[in-house]
Amino acid sequence: MARQKPTTTTPLSSSAPAPNRTLILDNGAHTLKAGFSTPTTTDREPNAATDSHTIPNTIARSHRDKRTYIGPELADCADFGELAFRRPVERGYIVNWESEKAVWERSLFGFEGRGEGAVLACEPQETSLVLTEAPNAPAVLQRNADEMVFEEFGFGGLFRTTAPALCAYAPSPFPSTASSSPSGLPLECLLVIDAGHSHTTITPLYHGRPLHTACRRLEVGGKTITNQLKELISQRTFDVRREDWLVGEIKEDVCYVSQSFNQDLEKVWRGGRYDQRSSTNDGSSNNDIVVDYVLPDYETIKRGYPRPHDAGVNVRNRALGIGTGAGGRREHILTIGNERFVAPEILFTPSDIGMQSEGLCGTVLQALNTLPSAALREAFLANVVVVGGASLMPGLVGRLEAELRSTVDEAVLVRVARAGDPVKYAWLGGARMARNEEVMREVVVTRGEYFEQGDLWVRRKFAGKVGR
Amino acid sequence: MATGPLRFRTPHIEELPTTGSRQAPGFAWVAVSGAQDDPAKNWGTSNRKRARASLGGPTDQQREALSARQQREVERKIRDLNSDNSKNAAELPIPKKEGGAGASTVARAGKTPNTKKILGSGKTFAHYLDDEEAEIARTGRRDVDVEAPTGAQRPSKTPLARRKTREESSMSGSPAPITPVAPPALPRISQALSFGETTTLDAEEEGDDAVPPLPSSAEMEALLNAPPLTYSQARSAPPTPGAPPPRRFCETCGYWGRVKCMKCGAMTCSVSCKEEHDQSKCLKMYA
Repeated sequence: MARQKPTTTTPLSSSAPAPNRTLILDNGAHTLKAGFSTPTTTDREPNAATDSHTIPNTIARSHRDKRTYIGPELADCADFGELAFRRPVERGYIVNWESEKAVWERSLFGFEGRGEGAVLACEPQETSLVLTEAPNAPAVLQRNADEMVFEEFGFGGLFRTTAPALCAYAPSPFPSTASSSPSGLPLECLLVIDAGHSHTTITPLYHGRPLHTACRRLEVGGKTITNQLKELISQRTFDVRREDWLVGEIKEDVCYVSQSFNQDLEKVWRGGRYDQRSSTNDGSSNNDIVVDYVLPDYETIKRGYPRPHDAGVNVRNRALGIGTGAGGRREHILTIGNERFVAPEILFTPSDIGMQSEGLCGTVLQALNTLPSAALREAFLANVVVVGGASLMPGLVGRLEAELRSTVDEAVLVRVARAGDPVKYAWLGGARMARNEEVMREVVVTRGEYFEQGDLWVRRKFAGKVGR
Repeated sequence: MATGPLRFRTPHIEELPTTGSRQAPGFAWVAVSGAQDDPAKNWGTSNRKRARASLGGPTDQQREALSARQQREVERKIRDLNSDNSKNAAELPIPKKEGGAGASTVARAGKTPNTKKILGSGKTFAHYLDDEEAEIARTGRRDVDVEAPTGAQRPSKTPLARRKTREESSMSGSPAPITPVAPPALPRISQALSFGETTTLDAEEEGDDAVPPLPSSAEMEALLNAPPLTYSQARSAPPTPGAPPPRRFCETCGYWGRVKCMKCGAMTCSVSCKEEHDQSKCLKMYA
């Protein structure tokens, strides 16, 4: 629906032309996803893989080579050992603008010649920015974001929205409806579960607009799972509490969500004193759960990798001279057993770590139970999309679907799908939305308007409370 | 489910909250060092350790209730788990962009007074959250949710004839999609919900076979225009009291915790794990 613009512009309105390029910036806690999108309809559909770049949103300091890596410079780092991270995004919202500015400068503005990720030379005055934030943001942080974008960086226009809201514009992940959503129009009913780094949010969207009373947030995210994995490994094998990057890699390589927690835990038990269970590699059923993770040493082994557990490996290595340091390759091995699925379990049962909160399935049902009509609930249950980096864990979607299925009435259809590329899904939605000029004209606030109307008006406009 | 912590399949036992009833355990593992949890036996003992560890109370639920100290420990652990920065991050200073022109120092500090303030502030998220809660407690609303500001507050430059009121702009009644918005607004949830409830009487249908229709567009508009929740309101609620108690795991190996250490309250799964706990991890001294 196009709101009618006033036919005669007021004398004080902006005289600068509307920006022609749009930069979609999905500002996540773990990574930034940035890329351009132009509204020309002759262009091909935006392709998440080629048009957008993923940039780590962090400042990292390595004590070993005494260097500080900001944002995309992390790709140059050779030694990730004991890398200390500082993130400008806290709990999903940009809090530390000094660091965020440093990262943005390195990644968005005229950053040449540093590999594939950074050729995003952006002229702020001629670009509109589509910026995402997490839902339910404190108003002060929103004001800070608006001020920084317009006053400090000088963008030509801004549209600040929540990341799940952009997901409505992305192609539907369900195979039966994939063909029927043209670019630029939102899907009708969508329940977006954003399993992100800081937390997991649940947002029901109706025609791209969120139903606010039903938005919920579960304070377990990828970061929580990584930290829990660090704790478990440190208690049982050796201390990895300072190795954020390494444990992040271990989590991505090795962790999964188990479909039947009790059974998996039984499989990996070493047995009590009076009830020994064999855990050796004689083909028993726990063989596929326990893995040996070969740790990187950043000299010969650049990236760790898992391999099936081999109980006799230490003895063999000693015999072969590996690991003695005298000659030959050194290999440090970390044996990971039930931590593989116990750490991600906190997403479904946060009470395991003592958090007073229901799990993912329970939170979804809480969110839906605030809706007054059963029809709405069924509509949303049939269109559940899981996005976000944490959703890449194998088994998450299946487990969520099984839990929802068992809690909800039999007659209700439950469809849960993971987006094709969960990390870039919101970006893809934003890119598709940006190609629709009408829509952009309605929502984007130009620089002139910001200076003329003030920050309160801008915030209310993004809230949908001010028409034009 | 009650099949977890015990090796045997126990039937689902649900505890009805009656006062003073003593739960007769069907089957329970008792710690090897075997102390009773009956507070009656602790009255005369000078063994405060045992009394503290048992936490009194005959029923399982009362025993599960954590003491204040333990609760603080748990909350601290959760905060650490959710901490954004590395433990060894301390304060990483932003290095200046080398080779910048003379404008680099200006750019660092911020171009306008607002941005200078933002860039220089060291506030963390907890500060912002507290500020917002204080503002809501003080004024009862957030600034974004106020009605369109009156002329006395902000001199609006739009001529009177062209001003649109809030209702006119947002309830234009067109069913076509309006583009996504990101609003933080007042906690008037109960208002929105009650409005939604009363008007869906005609929308709800009893047919099990027929798909109930979606609410009418007016109701949907009401739902959509409801103010967004604040950060604290949007948090997932605690589990209902009828939910199973939190599961405990063995500290040493990660299996179910079946045996509780009498001294420090940590759970282990078997005798061998318990021995290891006693040697290295047990808090023999009460902190």
